[in-house]
Amino acid sequence: MEDFLYEVVEITQTIWDGVLFGSTYALIGIGFTLIFGAMGKLNMAYAGAAIAGAYVGLAVSMFLDAPIIFVFAVSALVSTLMGYIVYQTCFRFIPTHNHLAALMASVGGLFLIDEVIVLATRGSPMNFPGLFEDAYFELGPFGIRGDLLFVFFIGIVSTVVLLYVLFKTRLGMATRAVAQQDVAAQLCGINIHRTNSITFSIAGLLGGIAGAMTAAAVGVLSPVMTVPLTIKGLIVTVIGGLGSIPGAIIAGLFVGAFENFFLYIRGIDERDMYVVALLFIFLVFRPNGIFSKTITRD
Amino acid sequence: MDFYLNLINTIGIHTMLGLSAYLLLQTGQLSLAQAGFFAVGSYTAAILTVIFQWNIIPSVLVAMLVTGFLAFLVGFPALRVKGLMLVVATIAFSEFVRMFFYNLKWRVTKNGEEIGPDGTMGFAEIRYFSDNGWSNLEVTFFLWTFVIIIMGVIWWSDQSRTGAVLRAVGEDELAASSVGINLTVVKVSAMTAGGFIAGLSGGLYAHQVTSLDHHSFTVLLGTFAIAYPILGGLSNVFGTLVAVIFIQGLLVEGLRFLGDWRMILFGLLIVLAMNFKPLGLFDKQTIAIIKRSIRV
Repeated sequence: MEDFLYEVVEITQTIWDGVLFGSTYALIGIGFTLIFGAMGKLNMAYAGAAIAGAYVGLAVSMFLDAPIIFVFAVSALVSTLMGYIVYQTCFRFIPTHNHLAALMASVGGLFLIDEVIVLATRGSPMNFPGLFEDAYFELGPFGIRGDLLFVFFIGIVSTVVLLYVLFKTRLGMATRAVAQQDVAAQLCGINIHRTNSITFSIAGLLGGIAGAMTAAAVGVLSPVMTVPLTIKGLIVTVIGGLGSIPGAIIAGLFVGAFENFFLYIRGIDERDMYVVALLFIFLVFRPNGIFSKTITRD
Repeated sequence: MDFYLNLINTIGIHTMLGLSAYLLLQTGQLSLAQAGFFAVGSYTAAILTVIFQWNIIPSVLVAMLVTGFLAFLVGFPALRVKGLMLVVATIAFSEFVRMFFYNLKWRVTKNGEEIGPDGTMGFAEIRYFSDNGWSNLEVTFFLWTFVIIIMGVIWWSDQSRTGAVLRAVGEDELAASSVGINLTVVKVSAMTAGGFIAGLSGGLYAHQVTSLDHHSFTVLLGTFAIAYPILGGLSNVFGTLVAVIFIQGLLVEGLRFLGDWRMILFGLLIVLAMNFKPLGLFDKQTIAIIKRSIRV
């Protein structure tokens, strides 16, 4: 009985930690979803840009000996800029109906960013400053890591701000108009390229925050993080339903919990296999994601 | 000399890999699963020759059939999702396969030596060619026989009704189904054919490099597989061959003195090529120019 209770507490704790960490996946998922919603295209360079932002933030903080919040601000800013650059180089001049070429270009962008990072850091992982490492709250038998709580908090705040911008401002209205019907939006006098580049920048901003959050929660920053983060982000986007922001949030938290649970019972080597299997289950039984909206464009 | 033969072998294997994605791209499906099929083919063929001591030709053919069947199975659920969702599904499939081989441990003792796939350590005892005294030149001929057969078959299918059907589905699915083309059959067949070719090339690859490691089958390999036909253009098989020679021969081997900068060049090249030639190097324009200059 003692053992059983101990297991229950451990597993609940694991799942709870996973949910908190899942907020980073949720942010990455929202970024993919935003861009997909706006253009109907996948930006594969997205998570790469997020990690690159975190790197620049780290570099600046190392030179200036700045506080941790500053690292977050710089990485968000750099990642915003990267989002804009990715739009200009990989999407702006490629014919809109040619999905293959845009996707391929952004994959090229991902490798470019990846390799620049490898070259700049000589491929070795770097320590990322931890957040409130000594903060630890206890709730009965459970404990809450202060850094994960902070990560979760930032995730919530960014989501709320994003939803405000999207649904309460003129800018958000323009973005949603382009997403719904780009030709009609253009006829109403909305500049599509301008709106799209703003959408990419906003997504980049979220990505930068998510990149810094991931690095802070894991404790290291390494170029091998880009591809797994891209894949996790895509999985979250698909499970949540392409183009759905609430879906991306819930799927992000869920994937975080799911992954941590399997990490606990099966170990690090097999963890990602189960996450991918989860995606397959969704593709077979619920291909449009949790928040099923019929997808008309592909 | 050995260096050049190895390069030629690599070009052959990557051409086959590119052609397996070429068929799928013709039907408008962007699949990153080719890396996964390639991995399945290479592990299957290697297990057959090493653990079961088979001859290489049946092992490679069985690897091809196994992979083709797997592709057939993957084709059905993947068909439920379209376009960009297919990309995500196929990336996930590749990663699943890679993770599977990362965890696969199957050691047996043969002739007082322990052999077989060893999880994270990889699979290192694939010495079929050296055990049977094949020279490097023979290996190259053996390999390129398959490459030429596959290129020939796809070239022929491009000229025939098959190619027209594939292209019709790729151009416009609605139009294609309204002239009586069964979309499911065409797409699953293309997926299966792609699986056959990728499995075959994987089986040959395993014996050419003599050791397998899950690091070789990442998303990067899947990207290479679709990058060749996209960069070369989907009008004919030689576009893929030229793209492979350019990337493997010139960019990866020829510019070795640039070190890590080569990979940056690869990324940059893809971005630039997609901006200036979104339909590939050998699009209608280029082919018209080549035809005109040949006539003059």
